[in-house]
Amino acid sequence: MSAGVTSSEELRIDWKIQEDPDRMAAFQAHIDAKGLVEADDWMPHNYRVGMLRMAEHHANSEIVGALPEGEWITRAPSLRRKLALVAKVQDEVGHGQMLYRTSQDLGKSRDQMLRDLVTGKTRYHNVFNYPAPTWADVAMIQWLVDGAAILNQKSLAEGSYGPYVRTMKRINMEEAFHFKSGEDMVLTLMSGTKRQRQMAQEAFDRWWGPCLMFFGPPDRESTKTGPFMTWRIKTATNDTLREAYVDRFAPAARALGLNIHLARKNPDGLIAVKADGTPDKIEDPLIRLDESTGHWGFTQPDWDEFYRVIGGDGPCNKQRVALRRFSYEQGRWVRQAVMGCAGLPPSRN
Amino acid sequence: MQELSDKLKAPLTDLLLSIADDKLMLGHGASDWTGLAPILEEDIAFSAISQEEIAHAAALYEVVGTMHGRSADAVAFGREPSAYRCAELTSLGDDFDWSRAIVRQLFCDHFDLLRFERLARSLLKSVAALSKRIGAEEATHVEHADVWLIRLGRGGDESKTRAQAALNALSGAAAMLFEPTDGVDVLEREGIYPAGEGSLFDRWQEDVGRVVAEAGLTLEVVPSPADAVGGRRGRHGESFTGLLDEMCEVYRVEPEAAW
Amino acid sequence: MSKIREQFQAGEGELASSPEADPKAYEVFIQLTRGQPHVHTGTVDAVDDKMALEYARKHYGRDQACVHMWVVAREAMISAGYGDDIIWPLTDQDYRLARGYAADVRRKWEQFRSKEDVDRYQKEDIKDAF
Repeated sequence: MSAGVTSSEELRIDWKIQEDPDRMAAFQAHIDAKGLVEADDWMPHNYRVGMLRMAEHHANSEIVGALPEGEWITRAPSLRRKLALVAKVQDEVGHGQMLYRTSQDLGKSRDQMLRDLVTGKTRYHNVFNYPAPTWADVAMIQWLVDGAAILNQKSLAEGSYGPYVRTMKRINMEEAFHFKSGEDMVLTLMSGTKRQRQMAQEAFDRWWGPCLMFFGPPDRESTKTGPFMTWRIKTATNDTLREAYVDRFAPAARALGLNIHLARKNPDGLIAVKADGTPDKIEDPLIRLDESTGHWGFTQPDWDEFYRVIGGDGPCNKQRVALRRFSYEQGRWVRQAVMGCAGLPPSRN
Repeated sequence: MQELSDKLKAPLTDLLLSIADDKLMLGHGASDWTGLAPILEEDIAFSAISQEEIAHAAALYEVVGTMHGRSADAVAFGREPSAYRCAELTSLGDDFDWSRAIVRQLFCDHFDLLRFERLARSLLKSVAALSKRIGAEEATHVEHADVWLIRLGRGGDESKTRAQAALNALSGAAAMLFEPTDGVDVLEREGIYPAGEGSLFDRWQEDVGRVVAEAGLTLEVVPSPADAVGGRRGRHGESFTGLLDEMCEVYRVEPEAAW
Repeated sequence: MSKIREQFQAGEGELASSPEADPKAYEVFIQLTRGQPHVHTGTVDAVDDKMALEYARKHYGRDQACVHMWVVAREAMISAGYGDDIIWPLTDQDYRLARGYAADVRRKWEQFRSKEDVDRYQKEDIKDAF
């Protein structure tokens, strides 16, 4: 089904490529008419590569995103939470599998994508480079990070590439469980003991900044009008999504009794401590509803930190990639064994 | 549940805990592979199995909890180490070696299937009904483990060597799966845990041996001496206590709180 | 966190191993309740039919409650359609569809019977015709 794009040379964005003008016009008209593109359709080279990169990055993010919460599977504090967390992390792997498949059909092998991921040639979402040092972080990841992911993925489900759009819709249905489960955990902690509420606040302080960064850096004019927008590979701007996110989560957090802080972080991702032993944080003075616009104000996150972390120098970058690499290397003999042992008939049919 | 005499309550508790604790530990170990398994599709499949193991344990803890007026979570997380009845095999780490994970499942799943076959014929109707349901899922675990051992055994030199090494490494602990829980003879006599044809050990050896042979591998399990005391009677090694401490890390922060 | 996630040894730099071939793609179709049609739900990669069925069961069979599934190797599927590959004819097809007759038949009936009679009579019409 996939067109045979294989070499990495062919998988580069190249704006100098001259596409057939008639085909380009018809392609753009199809997209402007809200049409969907299917794997078998003709598509411009840069559309294919742009879509592949986005789906591959998304798949990588699901696979690496399984790691921070995966650390807590063995410590979940009740049978129900344990089951839910295993199921949630399993879903992330399932999403990765579906998104790699979407990418494979655009022309890159899954193995190559996994190899590129574990050798640092391709990236995954920045938010997974932060640590989850307590159980409350699991709650905050499922509420705040999955909440951000849903907002983003709902907009991506409005995109133009059919297989990716269908995968987004499917993923969102499962994210609904993650989000509800996250809400349930946060609500439980915030209606619990003093110690539990404090755990929740501390985890919230760690995740609020990375969640504001989740949607990417502030928009430049070029990104709002570039080909990825006109082709509907991207459907909403970073700032629009960020604003919608704060409008939803800032009042919800405050209603729960969580304070939104500006916090100074150590290189390990934990909140720095002042000389007097208290956390180095102040309440964000801009958090309030602007009656005239209907939107909530907020202080921009530390964009220097964002670029530092995305450049590889975040609290957990090395550890995440190394663990994923360990899995790839340890699994090699198993994959070789099953490839060499193909041909078992299905037993129940 | 039907009225149980005090004479039967303690042995039944021990028997059900031996199954539930086995499954909790096994599911716990398997669940740690989620996100790290050798193949993405297998990651999902093995994680599904781990969830079923834990769900089976939860259902059995519910039964035990009802008998003793405690919540399933309190039974699962709130006991002293010596009150757990799992066999050592279920808490042995696999060092992230897929062949060990598969062999551990293979040994335990076949054993569980036999236990549930017996419990499905129990005169205690509720236990029988639950065991029938769990047994149906257990059969799919058995098939999963069987197929994997065959693939590993026939999958080339490295894979075969590793699979054989895993069988050898875990065969010693396998024998202690069969350590009887206290009072199990009473349960057998009363029809609560009816004995089947042949001993559990013989049937298990036959079932597992067939798969091992099909995989082109070998297995020798020497029965433990009748007086050997292990996990079924609360004597545990470090692999178990380490696992339990980790499992209860958050729960113990505030055991009375909801999480 | 479990020991293995903290203490492990991973390589650095380029991978020592050579690239691996991807297994085959299998398409998965599920039936949500008995009597409903099977619908496409996703794809799994597997080396053979047995593995494909197992993986389809464990992934797509557990995402939502379903009662039956078909799993088929993508290489065994043939396809048609899109672009210049016409499936539905380009000429008017009303002559072979109920909707091509509905208005005329209604008008003609009303020359013979009252509106109410025709309404009553047409209650038995198949409403979800193509």
